[in-house]
Amino acid sequence: MKNDVRIWHILSYSPKVSLTMKLTTILLLVSVFSIQANTYSQKVKITCNLENVKITEVFEEIEKNTEFKFLYNHGDIDMGKVVSVEAENKVLGEVLKELFSETNISFKVRKKQIILRKAGKNLTEKSVEAGLFREKYLEEQEIVVNGIVYSEDGLPLPGASIIIKGTTKGVISDLDGVFEISLVEGATTLVFSYLGFATKEINVIGKNNIKVYLVPSASNLDEIVVVGYGTVKKSDITGSVSSVGSDELAAFPSQDAIQALQGRAAGVSIQANNGGEPGSDFSVRVRGATSIYANSEPLYVVDGFPQGFLPAADDIESIEILKDASATAIYGSRGANGVIMITTKRGKTGPLKVNFNMSYSAQTVSNKLDLLDATQFAAYKNDIDVLAGRAPSFSNIGTLGKGTDWQDEIYHAGGVQNYGLNVSGGNENIDYYVSGLMYDQSGVIINSNFKRYSLTSNVNFKISDKVRSGVNILARRAIKEGIESQEGSSGVEGSGVVTTALGFPSTVNVYDTDGSFTLMPYGDPLDNPVANATGRSRELITDYLQANLFSEFDLFKNLKYKISLGVTTANGREGEYVSTTLLAGRNIGGKASVSSSKRTNTLLENYLTYSTTLNEDHSLLAMGGYSYQSFSTEVWATSAAGFLTDAVSWWGLGGAETVDVPFSSLRESELASFYGRLNYGFKNRYLLTANLRYDGSSRLAEGNKWAFFPSGAFAWNIHNEQFLENSKALSQFKVRTSYGITGNQSIAPYESLATLGYVFSSVNSQIVNAVRPNKVANNELTWETTAQLNLGLDLGLFNDKIQLTADYYRMTTSDLLFQIPLPEYSGFSSQLTNIGEVENKGVEFSLTFNDVVKTINWDTSLNFSSNKNKIIELPDDGIDILYSAAPGNFPSIQDTHVLREGSPVGSFYGYVYEGVQQNGNELLVGAEGIGGERFRDIENDGELTSDDRMIIGNPHPDFIWGWNNDFSYKGFDLNIFFQGSQGNDILNFSGARLDLGNGLTNATTNMLNRWSPTFTNTNVPQGNEDRSLVMSSRWVEDASYARLKNILLGYSFSENFLNKIKLRSLKVYVSAQNLLTITGYSGLDPEVNYRDSNTSVGLDYGSYPNIKSYTLGLNIGL
Amino acid sequence: MKLYIRILIMCITIVFGSCVKLEEEPVGVLAPEGFFKTKTDVEAALFGAYGRMASGTSWGGNIITLLQLRGDMVDIGNPGTPLRRREINSFTDDATNGMTAGIWPIMYSIIGAANNAILGAQTISGSESDKKALEAEGRVVRAYIYYVLVRMYGDVPYIDSAITDPNSIESISKSKVSDIYSGIISDLEYGVQNLPYKFDSGARSRATSGTAATILASVHLTLENWQAAYDNAKWVIDHKGDLQYELVPDFQTLFDATKQDGISEHIFAVDFLGLQRHADNDDTTGPKTTISEVGGWDVQVPSLAVYNTWDSRDYRRKVSLDDEILIEGVLTPYTEWNISRPHIAKFNRFVGNAQTDNRQSDTNYPLFRYAEVLLIAAEALNEVSGPTDEAKGYVNEVRERARRWPDHIDTYPEDVSLSVSSDEFRDLVLEERRLELAFEYKRWFDIKRRSLGEEVFKGPNSLEPRANFDSGKHYLLALPQDELDRNTNLLPQNSGY
Repeated sequence: MKNDVRIWHILSYSPKVSLTMKLTTILLLVSVFSIQANTYSQKVKITCNLENVKITEVFEEIEKNTEFKFLYNHGDIDMGKVVSVEAENKVLGEVLKELFSETNISFKVRKKQIILRKAGKNLTEKSVEAGLFREKYLEEQEIVVNGIVYSEDGLPLPGASIIIKGTTKGVISDLDGVFEISLVEGATTLVFSYLGFATKEINVIGKNNIKVYLVPSASNLDEIVVVGYGTVKKSDITGSVSSVGSDELAAFPSQDAIQALQGRAAGVSIQANNGGEPGSDFSVRVRGATSIYANSEPLYVVDGFPQGFLPAADDIESIEILKDASATAIYGSRGANGVIMITTKRGKTGPLKVNFNMSYSAQTVSNKLDLLDATQFAAYKNDIDVLAGRAPSFSNIGTLGKGTDWQDEIYHAGGVQNYGLNVSGGNENIDYYVSGLMYDQSGVIINSNFKRYSLTSNVNFKISDKVRSGVNILARRAIKEGIESQEGSSGVEGSGVVTTALGFPSTVNVYDTDGSFTLMPYGDPLDNPVANATGRSRELITDYLQANLFSEFDLFKNLKYKISLGVTTANGREGEYVSTTLLAGRNIGGKASVSSSKRTNTLLENYLTYSTTLNEDHSLLAMGGYSYQSFSTEVWATSAAGFLTDAVSWWGLGGAETVDVPFSSLRESELASFYGRLNYGFKNRYLLTANLRYDGSSRLAEGNKWAFFPSGAFAWNIHNEQFLENSKALSQFKVRTSYGITGNQSIAPYESLATLGYVFSSVNSQIVNAVRPNKVANNELTWETTAQLNLGLDLGLFNDKIQLTADYYRMTTSDLLFQIPLPEYSGFSSQLTNIGEVENKGVEFSLTFNDVVKTINWDTSLNFSSNKNKIIELPDDGIDILYSAAPGNFPSIQDTHVLREGSPVGSFYGYVYEGVQQNGNELLVGAEGIGGERFRDIENDGELTSDDRMIIGNPHPDFIWGWNNDFSYKGFDLNIFFQGSQGNDILNFSGARLDLGNGLTNATTNMLNRWSPTFTNTNVPQGNEDRSLVMSSRWVEDASYARLKNILLGYSFSENFLNKIKLRSLKVYVSAQNLLTITGYSGLDPEVNYRDSNTSVGLDYGSYPNIKSYTLGLNIGL
Repeated sequence: MKLYIRILIMCITIVFGSCVKLEEEPVGVLAPEGFFKTKTDVEAALFGAYGRMASGTSWGGNIITLLQLRGDMVDIGNPGTPLRRREINSFTDDATNGMTAGIWPIMYSIIGAANNAILGAQTISGSESDKKALEAEGRVVRAYIYYVLVRMYGDVPYIDSAITDPNSIESISKSKVSDIYSGIISDLEYGVQNLPYKFDSGARSRATSGTAATILASVHLTLENWQAAYDNAKWVIDHKGDLQYELVPDFQTLFDATKQDGISEHIFAVDFLGLQRHADNDDTTGPKTTISEVGGWDVQVPSLAVYNTWDSRDYRRKVSLDDEILIEGVLTPYTEWNISRPHIAKFNRFVGNAQTDNRQSDTNYPLFRYAEVLLIAAEALNEVSGPTDEAKGYVNEVRERARRWPDHIDTYPEDVSLSVSSDEFRDLVLEERRLELAFEYKRWFDIKRRSLGEEVFKGPNSLEPRANFDSGKHYLLALPQDELDRNTNLLPQNSGY
């Protein structure tokens, strides 16, 4: 046991001197986790004047006047040595230097301990010697207290200092946080302290086996950060990891933890897929999209469960975002898009605590489009009629007034009720956290609602000294119901509510004279917006259950084994009824469908962790394990049409005239993995990390199923170098670099196999079994591979009052999954193939600053990320790939986007709009005449052809940012959170449809500025029903924005008051979300995302409007 | 140490116990390997090919739309209909036209399905005659699709085996029209020899030897192999009892979806099942020919000249066109409709089960019916031996039915005049085809086959004048540009595009 890392605690007892010595000695030895060199001693100044006193008196004097304690072994120090000290406001370090200058004592300052040693003596020998003292002492003293020190999230704290109050006697906890201390006579209280955590005092009389939980304090250097298969102190991190804590996540009521994460972490971009739609999904990109066609969502690891489902924000303790390869490669084939680690809350030792939170948010539409009213529309329509050589449609313009405001018809005031109750607590053998939450949102469009009920139960227990176990159960029901607010790619029949409300002319009433809904008078037969919002009912109920059981065994010293078994199921049921008031239901007597799905994900995880320290300088941590995960998705669905009445909804399929062929499918896949990690640290200065994962996936072609994903990282804690020991300003200075390979295996099962597909076929009106080849095999299918380089810097100034983290990264993703179009004469349209390359590179900064000015505490943090996405290589020798992301009922628009080498994925492609074709301008062959849209002749050949198109927009921002501010003053706290995006373009399909000018839909008030022979100084063309929609820069706009996402003012009642009303805590707050948005974008909202894919970013089409909320909330603690 | 050992054992057990193969064994997903075992499996593959013929992109809609609009009998109704259709109608389409480009892949997908069935027929064990019959059925489907393709596009790639490795055909060239016809004829002759006269079900959507012979007659007619065209048509006429073919007495019955299954006049038809919403069973010709007042789309609407030049005594005009319709209980003449021209009635008057706009109807769309066999025989025989009594007899048989109204027998159209010349007879048969087979997507191929374009689009009696028509260009469609981009060996593009 020469290299034992267990810390000997050496007591100050010496038979000869113990009774006479005022000072006791404690000698701490090594800890595998480094303890920060502290610059505190360089700041503390003392004044003392002692002449010819015993050295121990000097110690006493210093301890009295500073927070420092002396630790030493009696044998090393000549207690009777007589010294003199003269110091006038002198830095402590210098005083000590002088004091020991003529002795054989060397000293070292660690935290607030001054450790004295006999110069040149080996510590390990010393510790053995010290152990002998201890044994002697124990023979004579009986009152021994032991226990474990934990951080508040239940992780053992090694190296915590435990001091008997009123003395300087104490011990240090060992690697497992275990301590044992003998009380001196009359002592009752122990003081627990640990750098970065608040000091805690506990009365220990009559107690034993105590569990002590320490809560982090301001300094975050020793914050524990969750990484794959373990945790690491922030100071030991070699990779790029962002952390977001529970305070930020619960800053305002959010339907989902991802929503709460928006703007909180550098390098993480989050967009709602459909504006403010209750229950809508979010698109998350960590450091950009590494792929073109494959899914680029990050991997979610919930309490160690990869691909687990997300708990509600209120139940989350912290979220860590692993960004570089050194952090993500441990998840191998799933790491390329970043990993989001979610840790749910745990109970803390102490009495049972009850927290009750409630809030109510009143919500309104954040913005409406300015559309033509009836009078304006009629004039516009008449102009078009005249141009087409027809009689004007409206002869009664003067009598029309404002007409119908269709937006007002479908919007109403919404609201969110949010309730949460949790109970937590624990003792040394068990801790628990049980929470129930309810979130009930009524959307701002009629008939759009979302409800969520969730239950979280985390229980951890100690089975024996060497075995710990825990159960973690998350259950949730999510109910999303109501309208189709945004249409998919279907044609006119599937028009979204917002689209129809924007497009319906204001001259049309909601109802006909006979009480039925009016119909679209022009062009495509769109559904009446109110009919659309009331005639289509949908309900999606998803029940989630995630259960995870783990046990951890101390196999022998330094070696731990952890096994966990988990299962997640998500059972969804969707019902839809389209009534006969809508186009899609009218011709078939109503249409109903019910579908169900069951997704199951099971996990077995085993790993061993070994940690040790060699001498004092080398720390080593090795982890290795094996995991097996299986996935299955079952889907079954049926639909029918032709009902007696619209009242049957989807629960009367049996009464249908026609029943469609039902559908069912099963998809299964497996993932098996071996993984390992090695961390090595030398003197806390040089940190090395190596990760390796060997993943095997059933989804890939035979022979390509297994692959290695390695990564390596190096970090240098420069501030721990001797040459910076005296630096006053620098409290943290670390540089990091990493490189590694990760994968993206988001390939559906069976993609490498050739398949036969079912065909609907009938003979003599009898349905018959029919198949056809629908997919050709790819025997070489493999995963996308991302190679990532990361360079990082962590800087802490003025005792971490200012902290800066900066990262540069470059990721190259190759073997992109591409549906390569096959020659169509093959009978197949495409084949999934690995080809092509994409690069993402960027920088990220996060800056935090905290200060106390008088009694106002100000914490601010700013994050900034800039990512550049570029296509390096495309198939077919890199020829441009043109594609359309236009909505389904935009028949005339052709390609809207291009994939081009050297340009970002999702670049907008089309003509350059040059304003209105004015009289006297050269008229291109094939272009619209005077008063029409004029486009640039890029080819300069006098003709407008498809070759005159170019890249006309980039949907990716130059940078995104978030800025959070917390102020507190006495019981008040104020939070102000801004978030924004700069330099991204939006392709405004909504605007294009309205302002095309063909008069078949309503238009925005832009069309009031339309060209006419008497009003030519404008860039808005005249109305013309023959104009077809052309993709041009006319529809591309800069959509930079800055948004006041949240502002909150809270008041926490004082302890005096709370004692009177017998509450532990009470806080009331008011807040507002999305109160203010600064943008030049002309559409409804700059935060849009129509169609969620890498190839269609920044599209605006009939999104659910963004929501402005005012929240009133109350938190009660019992 | 005991604990340590225990746990080590546990670890090892778990690691090895969960040793996985990572093989994919899909349930509910069919793999082609080992699929074909019995006759039923091959039939399922054949039905796959037939099912694709009923898709919205093939005879459910797009192929019919393209052929109708290209001809002189059907014009665009709603001027707001998508540009791709208007371009086809006005001869302004180019290689990127969505209809041209959309029809190509579905045709080859049907060919792929047929090739898969042929492979299946060769794989299974069973009686030689059964295997040959199944193979023949696949080959007739394949031949028919190539027959359509070659007339639309000219030289095209000719694929006659199931594709498992797309690389193998990535850079092949087009086959010559004559070579493709050789393949077609060979497949059809194999069909005539090996297929049964009829199926027990009487199904008209499955190819029989009569189907093969009829298509063969049509192919030879197109190739102006008059004798062979006549011989094959004559074979069908001679075997009409065995084949169970005859003219139905009432012309309307042919277009009554409730009476079409197994109807004796249909030789080859695409089978649709009403109100079944599937991409492979999507009839949009119903709404495309229906007036918008009752929910239709007003897409395929004949010019007024088609109606005005058609003798009102001809019962076929009554069946083929609607000139008045009940709108909300009121009989409304076409002059009051949004698109004030008579609309096609063949595919929307008696649709069986269908949506109220006539989409997803029960209508079986005929590809060949017995009346056409008579007209092929007449036309071919005239070229071989002049307007013989036999030739005239075939036309008269068709005309006799056209006179037969439900409540009376009209005098029009009269029997063919005894003194008709060969040239007159040729024109007369083509006119008979135009009216008898009106809106049955035959007219464009007749115009092309007989080079009638200049006359019907630019002549004085044009039903549908088209100044853009160019006989040097428009008898073929453009090859789809994206396909040429994928395989440049398919160049050159058809002349003029």
